[in-house]
Amino acid sequence: MFLVRGVVVLAILFAVALAGRLYRSWRAGVRDDRPAHPLVPASLLAGAARTWVVFTSPYCATCGPVEDRLRASDPDARVVKVDATREPHLAAAFSIRSAPTVLLADGAGNVTARLVGAEAVDSYVAARYP
Amino acid sequence: MAAPTPIDPRGPRFNQGVLATALLAGFLADWRPVVPAFALVLLAGAAFGPKYGPFLALYARVIRPRLAPPRELEDPRPPRFSSAMGVAFLGAGTLAFAVGAPGLGWALALMVAALAALSATTGICVGCEIYLALARRRPVTS
Repeated sequence: MFLVRGVVVLAILFAVALAGRLYRSWRAGVRDDRPAHPLVPASLLAGAARTWVVFTSPYCATCGPVEDRLRASDPDARVVKVDATREPHLAAAFSIRSAPTVLLADGAGNVTARLVGAEAVDSYVAARYP
Repeated sequence: MAAPTPIDPRGPRFNQGVLATALLAGFLADWRPVVPAFALVLLAGAAFGPKYGPFLALYARVIRPRLAPPRELEDPRPPRFSSAMGVAFLGAGTLAFAVGAPGLGWALALMVAALAALSATTGICVGCEIYLALARRRPVTS
């Protein structure tokens, strides 16, 4: 019986490790090529050639620093903050699952990059705006 | 309503690590009292706040002072909701043991152990994600 229980425990630990690995690879950072995004609304773009849309939540401790980082690194771009809990339809339209999630949109509203998490933003910005 | 004071996210992760280890060890040894005992441990933290959870308090008083400051803080409500879900599952498991269904009792406890291990080792907190999904759906009053 102890052996059976040991196998069950090992199976659980293996499943946990596998789930963690799959989840991390699924969420891993930069996704430049997701085709399914709708256009970013013109009200957010406000005519800018390039707009960073930062999806935040009231629970997000890293969203403020991310926003500051974007403003400092890309001063020519517009940076707008969207509280996903106050704009649930917008969050749902862009499949926002966690904060911060950052979208980079061109002047026509096409999403050209999607960054999930502060680390992804840091690495993306460091690579393109050194 | 003002957001509560953010917490060090490593505290709940430590708590979840202890929980997962204890439940898995209890299952290995077929020691059923571990299930109601940890239901009470989670209940204390979820109902009254982190300083009343024994392992959260242990982390705050003994372990955290020996570590570097956290890189980020988190809202305490999602992990408290997650703990409340754990209380519900472990409470149901305790009930299952009491009515003579140990298989169901251990199944519920092992679900909690698996999710706690996942959270402790990877930071993926399923209960927190459920809380956030619910928070996105409810009307904003503030």
